[in-house]
Amino acid sequence: MKRKLLSILLTTSMLAAVLAGCGSKPAENTPAADTTSEADAGEESEPAADTDESANAPEDTDASAPGEAVTLKWAIWDKDITPYWNAIKEGYEASHEGVTIEMVDLGSTDYMTVLATELSGSGSDFDVVTIKDVPGYATLVSKNTLEPLGSYIADAGIDLSQYGGVDKQVTVDGELYELPFRNDFWVVFYNKDIFDAAGVPYPTNDMTFEEYDDLARQVTDTTFGSQIYGTHYHTWRSAVQLFGVLDGKHSILDGEYDFFKPYYELVLGEEDDQVCRNYADLSAEGLHYSAAFSGGDVAMLNMGSWFISTMIASLQSGEYDSSLCGNWGIVKYPHAEGVEPGSTLGTITGLSVTSVSDKKDAAFDFVKWVSGAEGAKVMAETGNFPALMNDEVAGIISSLEGFPADAESKEALNVSNLYLEVPYAENVSAINDILDTYHKSIMNREVSVDEGIASMNEEVGKLLAQ
Amino acid sequence: MDEKRAVKNKKIISRQARRSLVAYSFIAPNFIGFAIFTLIPIVFAFALAFMQWDGSNEITFVGLKNFIRLADDTFFFAAFKNTIIYVIGTVPLTMIASLALAIVLNQKIKARGFFRTVAFFPYVASLVAITAVWSMIFHPSKGPVNYILLNVFGVAQENLPKWFSGSLVLFTLILFSVWKYMGYYMVIYLAGLQGISAELYEACGLDGANTWQKFKYITWPQLRSTTFFVVVMLTINCFKVYDIAVMLAGGGDGKLSTSATVLVYYIYQNAFNYWDLGYSSAIAMVLFLMVLIITLIQFRYEKKLDA
Amino acid sequence: MSAQNKDKKAGSKSRNAVIGKTLVYIILLVITAAMIVPFLWMLSASIKSNREVFLMDPFVWIPKEPKWDNYVKIWTKIPLLKFVSNTVFLTIVVTFLQLLTSSFAAYSFAKLEFKHKNILFLAYIATIAMPWQVYMVPQFIMMRSMGLNDKLLAMICLQAFSAFGVFMMKQFYEGIPTELCEAARIDGMSEYKIYAKIMLPLSKPALSTLTIFTFVNTWNDYLGPLIYLKTESKKTIQLGLKMFIGQYSSEYGLIMAGSMVSLIPVIVVFLCLQKYFVEGVASTGLKG
Repeated sequence: MKRKLLSILLTTSMLAAVLAGCGSKPAENTPAADTTSEADAGEESEPAADTDESANAPEDTDASAPGEAVTLKWAIWDKDITPYWNAIKEGYEASHEGVTIEMVDLGSTDYMTVLATELSGSGSDFDVVTIKDVPGYATLVSKNTLEPLGSYIADAGIDLSQYGGVDKQVTVDGELYELPFRNDFWVVFYNKDIFDAAGVPYPTNDMTFEEYDDLARQVTDTTFGSQIYGTHYHTWRSAVQLFGVLDGKHSILDGEYDFFKPYYELVLGEEDDQVCRNYADLSAEGLHYSAAFSGGDVAMLNMGSWFISTMIASLQSGEYDSSLCGNWGIVKYPHAEGVEPGSTLGTITGLSVTSVSDKKDAAFDFVKWVSGAEGAKVMAETGNFPALMNDEVAGIISSLEGFPADAESKEALNVSNLYLEVPYAENVSAINDILDTYHKSIMNREVSVDEGIASMNEEVGKLLAQ
Repeated sequence: MDEKRAVKNKKIISRQARRSLVAYSFIAPNFIGFAIFTLIPIVFAFALAFMQWDGSNEITFVGLKNFIRLADDTFFFAAFKNTIIYVIGTVPLTMIASLALAIVLNQKIKARGFFRTVAFFPYVASLVAITAVWSMIFHPSKGPVNYILLNVFGVAQENLPKWFSGSLVLFTLILFSVWKYMGYYMVIYLAGLQGISAELYEACGLDGANTWQKFKYITWPQLRSTTFFVVVMLTINCFKVYDIAVMLAGGGDGKLSTSATVLVYYIYQNAFNYWDLGYSSAIAMVLFLMVLIITLIQFRYEKKLDA
Repeated sequence: MSAQNKDKKAGSKSRNAVIGKTLVYIILLVITAAMIVPFLWMLSASIKSNREVFLMDPFVWIPKEPKWDNYVKIWTKIPLLKFVSNTVFLTIVVTFLQLLTSSFAAYSFAKLEFKHKNILFLAYIATIAMPWQVYMVPQFIMMRSMGLNDKLLAMICLQAFSAFGVFMMKQFYEGIPTELCEAARIDGMSEYKIYAKIMLPLSKPALSTLTIFTFVNTWNDYLGPLIYLKTESKKTIQLGLKMFIGQYSSEYGLIMAGSMVSLIPVIVVFLCLQKYFVEGVASTGLKG
């Protein structure tokens, strides 16, 4: 009986090993496995497997030749509430006859996790994927699921300097795997009505952190039932600890995080005096920053520039009550004493070509277009900030209907130094999670600021030593 | 003669074979699905714990390396500790609460059916919906629970409990689990209670035994196998805790800090965020071993009592 | 004298009984309140505006102007109908398959003799004690290589063949006298007929119990769909509700209305089948 059990176990484990083998190799090496999984899937009808071999061959340029129908499958998120996906698709299809862009919405929650799952092993048929954040990008690169773009960029003669250096922050061993098409930076949103009512001057484009803290405290009203919060910090760690990287001397990849300390103390102090909502509450109800700001009881909010287009659109559609938050403006991030104003955090969104795509040239052409001048224009017209930023683009955005009319708000779009929230490093995903974890502990006051930072130093140090 | 026997044997064999075939045909639909979707992955999981794999590149055999890494992993230990505390808190409390409720609901009282149904409500309610309600009721500054603590019991505002963070969060998780699952185990106890013959109590009642003595000398011993089943199932289910923690303590982004992290969360994290599949399987093996050991101890104990 | 004593004793006894009964009712009422208040709160909050939800002074269960349109709005804010229909489809198919294949296999384990019976049953038993989370990752990798990622079919494969169902039904069938089957066999009935004509009709309580368990588990499953279902059009009600809570975090009324909607089907199924429930648990040997 025992022996039989053993033999059953052995057979099943062999079966498992075979199955594991299928999943383990990149699709190109196992066309047979790929075809079966395609057949199983049923819905995908593209003859992906047998054209794989020729994908890299030079004569395979016919994919992008005019007249021949090409369909590119593109991974995106939140199709219905994000205006630019469709604008990009239409813009590209209009100027490229025979190309169809098929968008697949993977949802914004856990987008990068879902994408990594999609691209792992065989069975994926995406040609172009959108890269939402750098930790996810690092994962995809280490899994060899993205195509290195260096040779394509050289062939197309793209000048990378137009991206103002952000491309260097996502270069992996000298090779680039994505081209940025969207570049958001953090600003301070404020509610003019609240400042008017309190008789306090508006925030300016040149504030030190002290001045910012003072302003927040001045407009705060702690009367129960009609509270006004001087400022609001979303639960992301970027919203608090990354004030520390603005002086350009520190990065979250350092492994030494003592420079977070003054900013944690600033925010926790504001919490104590009810200048901002406390983290435990925000976390318990999972309050979204947009809900907080549009509720009309938050005077200032530090947030990414993506919120500009949301504000404009939601006020126009009536989703946000314009009597509560209709009178708004933006200013540059506050800065530490002695640091140039206009230094801020950035987040890039990029496009990559998958390594399993059988239409890489056509796919890259799409990536090039979106991240280039034409794509930039489409982005700007929908109120978003393209990676390829210049005065013309800034002009388009600040003249959009619904954009705050004051000069300060326009000026706030000029960024002097941009530091990515998360630059590339091989284990950035794990570093990110460690910092997130202790950010939570500090903000929930489970540990003191010093203890939290000591834990960050220790855990990230351990990781970097590996 | 020999020939005859051979023919007879053959007939028997073929009849047996046919009967076996019929039996297999009954089992096949379920077993095939079960083997493919459960048995094979389990074997695969065991193997994976000794491998390094990111789901895309080559699998490499790394021996015990994944387990050695565990020894120096702060987050693993936090998850391990929290899971154990959660199990130790939830199992006995749920057991006692569901037994007490079952005993009460086994008596002849009015509206018994109504009470039974209500007690079962939390079990059938979806976790997402019901945790949303709990986070509102226990909201640290606006929720009714803290409002009552503040205004009725006079707890100072700064001392109001933050139910979903810090040292309290595990307590809240335990409280929630007892609330949600006691109805389920109550039904199992009810079934057990109905199996105890009334004569036993009558015999006891004549001797003038009080309620406590009745419980001690009849109910409890008679329910031993039920209790065994309840405790084993509870233990297994508690070790699996994941969604409750993420939904009650995860905040907006569903991430758990070291005060609330649990083993399954860390398994998920390693698998789907870091794509460290071997390591995540190694953690899963620890989870499995814990369940196995505790179940075996309980089996031993049960056997000993039997003997 | 002795008669008087007896009277006294009886009197105190009945007084004790009254006190005991009252105590029992008080305990019951407290527990019942604890069980049901969150649901009443949910119902109450679902017809309130955001401001009213946390209003404690004065607290009212039914607001002056109930916002019934919360129940209308949720269907347009997110594709709730799609989520509900996905979940209904999944739940029905899974429950049906589970009942059918489990009772089928259980009949064989309980009433038929065949080779390797013990080993096969051991395989089932062993996996009951194995948390799904232990093998969810390899299972996912395997399913994906079969092209089942992001397909509702994956969820069906995942949930339709549980060991628990087979175990439960087997325990129940073992309680049915084997003589019944023997008699039918002598009458020349085939095993399939015995299963269909004799066993199935007898197993109402067990099937009801298994239906409740399967229905509740499938309807409320979160981690499974989270791993397998990615595109919005395939998501289940639990994922949808979670997404909704993430997007409209401060629309308490809407969140509660959505939650109510997600509860109704399970509660209806439970109420319909609950009269068989305790009997089902008792007779399936779930009590141990």
